[in-house]
Amino acid sequence: MIFTVLIPLLLACFIPFISKFKHKIHTGVFVLFIPLLVFLYFIQFVGSGFEPVRHTYNWIPSLGVNFDFHLDGLSLLFALLISGIGTLVVLYSIYYLDRSEPLGHFYVYLMMFMSAMLGIVLSDNVFVLYTFWELTSISSFLLIGYWHFNERSRYGALKSMMITIFGGLSMFGGFSLLSVITGTTSIQSMIANADVILASPYMPLAMGFLLLGAFTKSAQFPFHIWLPDAMEAPTPVSAYLHSATMVKAGLYLVARFSPVFGDYEWFFIIVSMAGIVTLCWASYMAVHQTDLKAILAFSTISQLGMIMAMLGFGTKAAIFAAVFHILNHATFKGSLFMVAGTVDHETGTRDIRKLGGLLTFMPITATLALFGTFSMAGIPLPFLNGFYSKELFFESTLGLQEGMGATASFLVDIIPYLAVLGSIFTFVYSLYFLFGTFGGKTQLDKLSKKPHEAPFGMLVSPGILVLGVILIGLFPSAVNGTFIAHAAEAVYGGEVVKDVYFWHGWNAPAFQMSLVVVGLGAVLTATRTRWNGIYQVLPGRLSVNKVYDAIMARIDTYSRNITTFYMTGSLRTYMAIILSTIVVITVGFMLATGGFTIDFSNLAPVTVIELAVALVITVAAVGTIFANKNVAAVLIVGVVGYGVALLFVIYRAPDLALTQLVVETVSVALFLLCFYHLPKLKKRNESMNKKVVNAIISVGFGAMMTMIAISAHSSDWFGTISDYFIETSYSLGGGDNVVNVILVDMRGLDTLFEITVLGIAALAIYTLIKSKTRKGGK
Amino acid sequence: MSNLAVLPIIIPLIAGIILAFFPKRLTLVRTLSKIFIISNLVVASFIAWLVFNQGSIILETGDWAAPYGIIIVADQLSILLVLTTNIVAAACAFYAPHSLTDRKEKYYFYTFFFMLISGVSGAFLTGDIFNMFVFFEVLLMASYGLIVLGGDKVQLRESMKYVFINLFSSMLFVTAVGFLYGAVGTINMAQIAQRVQEVDQQGILTTVGILLFFVFAVKAALFPLYYWMPKSYAVPNPVISALFGALLTKVGIYAIIRVFSLIFVHKIELTHEVFIWIAGLSMVFGILGALSTNNIKLIIAYNIIPAIGFILMGIGVFNQDGISGSIYYLIHDMLIKASLFLLAGTIAYAAGTSDLRKFSGLIHYYPFLGWMLFISGFVLAGIPPFSGFIGKILLLRGALAAEEIAIVIIALLSSLLILYSIMKIFIRGFWGEKDESFQPKSIKGRSAPIVVLLAFSVFLGIGAEFIYPSIESISKYLLNPADYINAVMEG
Amino acid sequence: MEFIISILAGVLFATAIYNLLQKQFLRLVIGSVLLSHGAHLFLLTMGELKRGSPPILTEGISDYTDPLPQALILTSIVISFGITSLLLVLAYRTAEENNTDNMEQLRGNENE
Repeated sequence: MIFTVLIPLLLACFIPFISKFKHKIHTGVFVLFIPLLVFLYFIQFVGSGFEPVRHTYNWIPSLGVNFDFHLDGLSLLFALLISGIGTLVVLYSIYYLDRSEPLGHFYVYLMMFMSAMLGIVLSDNVFVLYTFWELTSISSFLLIGYWHFNERSRYGALKSMMITIFGGLSMFGGFSLLSVITGTTSIQSMIANADVILASPYMPLAMGFLLLGAFTKSAQFPFHIWLPDAMEAPTPVSAYLHSATMVKAGLYLVARFSPVFGDYEWFFIIVSMAGIVTLCWASYMAVHQTDLKAILAFSTISQLGMIMAMLGFGTKAAIFAAVFHILNHATFKGSLFMVAGTVDHETGTRDIRKLGGLLTFMPITATLALFGTFSMAGIPLPFLNGFYSKELFFESTLGLQEGMGATASFLVDIIPYLAVLGSIFTFVYSLYFLFGTFGGKTQLDKLSKKPHEAPFGMLVSPGILVLGVILIGLFPSAVNGTFIAHAAEAVYGGEVVKDVYFWHGWNAPAFQMSLVVVGLGAVLTATRTRWNGIYQVLPGRLSVNKVYDAIMARIDTYSRNITTFYMTGSLRTYMAIILSTIVVITVGFMLATGGFTIDFSNLAPVTVIELAVALVITVAAVGTIFANKNVAAVLIVGVVGYGVALLFVIYRAPDLALTQLVVETVSVALFLLCFYHLPKLKKRNESMNKKVVNAIISVGFGAMMTMIAISAHSSDWFGTISDYFIETSYSLGGGDNVVNVILVDMRGLDTLFEITVLGIAALAIYTLIKSKTRKGGK
Repeated sequence: MSNLAVLPIIIPLIAGIILAFFPKRLTLVRTLSKIFIISNLVVASFIAWLVFNQGSIILETGDWAAPYGIIIVADQLSILLVLTTNIVAAACAFYAPHSLTDRKEKYYFYTFFFMLISGVSGAFLTGDIFNMFVFFEVLLMASYGLIVLGGDKVQLRESMKYVFINLFSSMLFVTAVGFLYGAVGTINMAQIAQRVQEVDQQGILTTVGILLFFVFAVKAALFPLYYWMPKSYAVPNPVISALFGALLTKVGIYAIIRVFSLIFVHKIELTHEVFIWIAGLSMVFGILGALSTNNIKLIIAYNIIPAIGFILMGIGVFNQDGISGSIYYLIHDMLIKASLFLLAGTIAYAAGTSDLRKFSGLIHYYPFLGWMLFISGFVLAGIPPFSGFIGKILLLRGALAAEEIAIVIIALLSSLLILYSIMKIFIRGFWGEKDESFQPKSIKGRSAPIVVLLAFSVFLGIGAEFIYPSIESISKYLLNPADYINAVMEG
Repeated sequence: MEFIISILAGVLFATAIYNLLQKQFLRLVIGSVLLSHGAHLFLLTMGELKRGSPPILTEGISDYTDPLPQALILTSIVISFGITSLLLVLAYRTAEENNTDNMEQLRGNENE
C-alpha cells in the first residue's frame, strides 16, 4: 500500500524530464495514468464484504513514527475520491492548460499533493498523518502560487499557507498531547483508549488543538477566508484541492476522531456550531459574489460547514448523511468547477456580470451545469444525489438528542431553523450561478472573445461527474451498501444500516423543510436584485479578511517597532540590559535559595600594608571614572595594575607578581602608543539620570560579585585538589615551583592554548593594521 | 588509544599553524585546508564510531589522573557535536574560496578558521571547567580575527560591540569558575558534579550555577542577552556568518546542557523552570526580530535566537524526551543555520543586495537556489519530514509530559512565524515577474556545499531511525550524571 | 582579609562596569582592564590567603599557599593581555575608519 501512496510522488520525479517534450505531446497525457492506476488499485476493495486492511512499514520505529496504513471504509471513500477525481482533473487539465505554461511544475505539485492526500486518509500514525497534512498545505501553496507573477496569487498562496499551517501546527500539538496521554501514536489505539483520553484533564485542550487544525483546513468560519483567495490557482486545482479533496481533510480528521470525542458535550457544541454558522454565512456570502469561482468557493465553504455540522451531531443518521454528502459534494462541485473553468476558457472571463445567455453558445456545458446546480440546490428530483443528502441533513437536524446542558439544548432547538436558512441561500446561489451564466441576455460586447462550445475533451470530465450525480441519485442503495455504509461505520463505531429512499411522503418533516427551501429560495432568487442592498449592511464593512490583513500588517509593524525599540545598536543599552538582567535574576536566586553565607572563622589577619594597597587601588579605580586626560587615565590604570601586582607579592604569589609586572608595563606602553592615535578623552557629559542608572548597575553588580565571593569562600565543605599538586610537584612533576609545574605539566593543555590565544591575537592585530595600510595605499 | 580523543583539537591547531606560514600562496593554502578539514572529519567520524560502539574515550592529559590533570572526555554528546562541527566546517572550507576575496583569504582566514574549529572542538571535549574557559578564549579570539577580516567600517563597528560583550562574559566566566573552586575546591567537572551532589547543591552553589548560566547564555544568545548577536553575525562574509551561526552560539548552549545536566541538577524546580521562561521569551523576541527586517542576512541571524530557545526549552523540561529533543534540535540547527547563512549570502550576492525590497523574481534565473531556500524554510520551521520536525516532536512531547502547556503553544506559534520569515524571502525575492534586464552572475561552486549541508539536514529527518537511537542513549546518559562521573573519576 | 579583598575586587568590578557603560573607546578599554584585575583578585581570594609560604617547595616547610588559583590567574592574565592588546588596536582602527571614538555614534542601521 505504501507503494500506492508514494507512487505519485516517486513518478513525479520523472515529470520534469517528460515535460521537456511538452510541445510534442501534453505532459498531462503521461501523468493521467498515475491517478488512474491508483484508482484501479483502490476500486478492488469496494464491495459489501469489505474488511479493514492494515499494512505497516517502518520509518522511525524507535520514536513510534511508522507508516501504519489502515484502510477502512472512511479511508477507502476518500482514497477513491482522491484518485478518481484526480484522474478526471488531470484529464481536464490537458485541455485547460496551455502547453506554453510550465507544465512540469504543475504536475509535480499535483502529484505531490495526491501522494500527500492519500497519506492523510490512510495513515493510522498521527505523526505520519501530520507529515502528509503539511505536505498538502505545501503543495496547495505552490499550486495557488502557480502564476506567481500575479500579486493576487502570491497573496492567496501566503494566506492559505499561513492559515493552514497554523492549523497544522495546532493539530500537531494536539497529536503530541494525545500521544503523551495515551502512550501510543496510532489513531486506532487512541480510539480504543478513548476512556483514558476522556479522563485526562488535558482532553479539552487536545480537542481544541485538533479542531483548530480541522477548521482551518476545512475552511470553517472564521478561517474560511483563505479559500476564496485560493481560487487564484488554475481551475483544475480548485476543482481538485479546494473543493473535492484537500479541504475535506479537516472533515476527515473530525470524522476520524469522533469516536474519541463524540461523547463529549462540547465536541457537539463546537463542531456543530462551527459547521452551521459556516453553512449559513458562506451561503449568504456566495450570493453576493460576482466571480464564478468565488461563488463556488463560498458554496464549497458552506457545504463543508454543512458536513462539519453533521459530524458534530454525531447521531447515526447524521454521520451517514455526512459521509454520503462528502461523496455527493465531490461529484457535483467538481463538475461545477470544471464548468466554471470551461466558461472562463471559452469566454475569457469569469465575471458573472459580463456573462449571460451562454445556453445558446454552450448547450452541453449548460446542461452539465444544470444538473450540478440543481443537485447542489437540493431540488427534489429522483435523479439528483444532492437532494438525498440534503434530505438526510434535514432529518438529522431534527433527530438530535435532548437532555444535555443548557448551551447544547439551545443549539438543538435552533439548528433546524439555521439549517433551513442556510439551505435557502444555497438554493439561491445555485440558481444565481446557473441563470447568471447561461440564462438571460447575452452581452457579447463585454466578452473578449466569441464564446463557443468547449472541445470534447474538456467536457468528458465534468460529464463523468454529472453522470455520477445522476447514477447515485437513481441508485443510492448501490453506493450505500458497497462503501458509504462502511465509511459511516468507521466513523460511528457501530453498524449503520441506512436505506435511502426518494419518497418519504408529504408529511415527512424533512420533506416539508425542503419545500420551504424551494419555495422561499425561488422567491428570493426572483427578487435578488431588490434585496441585494442588504449586503451593504451585513457584512457591510465587516470582514474577516480585514482581520487577517490587519494581523499580517501588525506582525510587520509591531515586530519592527518592538525590535527597533530595544535593538538600538547602542552598546551602552545592550550592556545595561544584560547587566541588569544578570544582577536581578542572580540576586533573586541567591535570595530564593538562601545562598548568602558568611563565616569569619577562617580568615587571614588584616594588616595595615594590605589595607593601604587596597585603598590605593580603590582610589585609582574610582579615579579612572573621573580622569579626563588620556595620559592621566592610562597612568591611573597603571597604578591599579601595579597595585594588584603588589597584592600578589603580599599573598605569596611571586610568579603572578612577576607576570603582572611585565604585562602591566607592556600594556601601559601599548596604551600610550594607541592613545596617542585615539582622540582625546572628553569630559563625561551624561545626564543625571544616566549617571544614576549607571551607578546603580555598576554598584549592584560589584556588590553581587562580592557577596557571592564571600559566600563561596565561606562554604567550606571540601578540601581542595591543590594538596595533591604540592605533594606530587617534585616526585611526579620534577619541579620545585608548584605553580610552574601545574602550568607546564598538570595543566599543560591550558598553557598550550593560552599561547595559541596570544598567537591568534598577534595575527589578528597584524591583519587589522595591515588592512589599514592597504586602504591607505589605494 | 585514548590519545585519539585529543586529535580533533590538535589537527586543526596544527593545520592553523602550518597555514600561517605561507598565507599568500592561495592555491596551496586552499588545497591544504581542504585536506586538513577532510582528514579531521574522517578522524572525528572514526572516534565517533568508536565512542558509540565502545563507550566514552577519556584522555588524562599528561598522564595526570582525574581530577588533578585536565581531562578530555569524548562521550557521545561531545563527539557528536564535534562531528557536526566538522561537517559544517568542511562545507564552509569548500564555500570560502568562492565567497571571500583573495585579499581576505590572504589575511590568515584559514588560520583563524582552523583555530576556531580547534577551540570549538576543545570546548565540546574538555572535562575541565577552566580548560573550557581557555577553549572559549581560543574560539573567541579566532572569531575576533574573523569578524574584523577585511576591516570595513561597518565590520569594525560591530566588532567593537561583539568584542566588548564577549570580553565581559569571559571575565565573568573566569570569576564564576573561581567561585566554584572556592566553594567545592576543584575544577574538574566530574568532581564538581560529585561534590555538588554530596552537599545537595546547597548554599551559594545554585547562585554560582546561575552566574555560569548567564556566562553561557550571553554566548548562546538567549533572551535578553543576545543584543550583540544579530548585527555582528549578519555583517561579515557569509562563510564567517555561517561558522558563527552554526558553531559559536551552539558552544554556549552546549555548555548549558553539560553544566545543567551534570552539575546543577539538584534544584531543577527553580533553575530549570526559569530556563523555560527564558526559552519562551527567546522564541518570541527572536522571531519578532526576524520579522522586523528586510535584510535577508539579518532574518537568518535573528532566527538563531528562537532556535536556541527551542533547545533550552528541552533542557528546561528536563525529561528524556525533552533532552533528546534539545540534542536533536542542536544538531539540526547547526546544519541548517550554516546552510541558511550560506544561502542568504549566495542570494545576496546573486541579487546584488540583501535588501528584500530591492529584488524579486530570482527564480527565473536561479531556480535551484530558490528551491533550496524553499526546502530550508521548511527544515528550519520543523515541518515534516525534515530534521526540525523530529526535534520538535520530542520537545513537544517532553514539554507536554512535564505539563508545560504555555511553552508548547509559544513554540508552535513561533514555528509558524519562523516559516513565514523564510517564506517571505521566497515569495518576495524569488516569485514574481521575470526581470529581462537582470544580468545573472555565476554562482558556480557555491551551491555544492549548501546542497551537502541540506542533504545532511534532510537525512537527519528522513533517516531519523539511524540517528535517534543514539540521541536517545545520549539523553539517558545525561539524565544519569553518575555515568559521566564514574567514567571520569574511576577511569 | 579575604573579605576585604573580595570587596576590593567588587569595587574593581563596579568601576569597570561604570567605565564599560560609557561612550568613549578609551573608557571602555580601561573598563575591560579593570574588569580583568577584579576577576583575578576574586580568583586569588578563592585560595586561602597568606596561609603558608609561596608554593615553591623548600626543605622543612610543609605549609604552602594554594597554587592552583595562582596557575589559573597566570593563564588568565596572559589571555587578558592578548585581548586587551587586540582591543586597543581594534579601537584605534575603528575610530580611524569611522571618524569617531563615540560608541553612541556607531549604532548603524538595518540594511548594510
